[in-house]
Amino acid sequence: MSFREKSAWISLFCLVIFTALWLTHALRIEFFGAENDNPMLWFFGTLAALIALEIGLHVTIAIQSPREAKTPKDERERLIDMKASRVAFYVLMIGAFVSIGTLHVPGANRYTMAQCLMGSILFALLIRFATQIALHRRDA
Amino acid sequence: MAKTIENNIRRLRFEHKEMTQQELAEQIGVTRQTVNAIELGKYSPSLEVAFQIAEVFGVPLDKVFQYNLPKRSRT
Repeated sequence: MSFREKSAWISLFCLVIFTALWLTHALRIEFFGAENDNPMLWFFGTLAALIALEIGLHVTIAIQSPREAKTPKDERERLIDMKASRVAFYVLMIGAFVSIGTLHVPGANRYTMAQCLMGSILFALLIRFATQIALHRRDA
Repeated sequence: MAKTIENNIRRLRFEHKEMTQQELAEQIGVTRQTVNAIELGKYSPSLEVAFQIAEVFGVPLDKVFQYNLPKRSRT
């Protein structure tokens, strides 16, 4: 498995954890309220922890294969990145329109729209990394 | 669907003291996975990389890559 594929797996893994935590938190607030809770502190705290985990895992794989880690992305890897970003862009656009659409849902408010938008961003990123992995594996 | 671009990289590597994919990759500035993908016909390289591969083996480009025109079906 190439360094770039490992990197994509790590990013996907960290993002899946973050998405699961965020979704659990968002649903808990939605259905049970948020008494004595600071959503912003929770959000940025969790995000910082996941970023630290991702950096740590990337450092680990870079130590295992330092030559590959130092090598800049070649044309095929850049193409894979672009293809994955294009797929993720469409997912994000659909998510953005759905988020705008929540304003017309009875009972929904700005918080609902913000959560929907956040979900769209996370889902688009998940699709991006998953597509990168699929393209790396297909061309391997 | 038949491949339209074929290559002789595997044979040329063999003829050049069994050069490894990693060695070729390092000489042309791409990853080993990219050389493998090119060799298997799963990825068509840019002209620049194609010329670099030919340069490494010291042969003209058409000795490395061949373009087979797809046969048009007659209606």
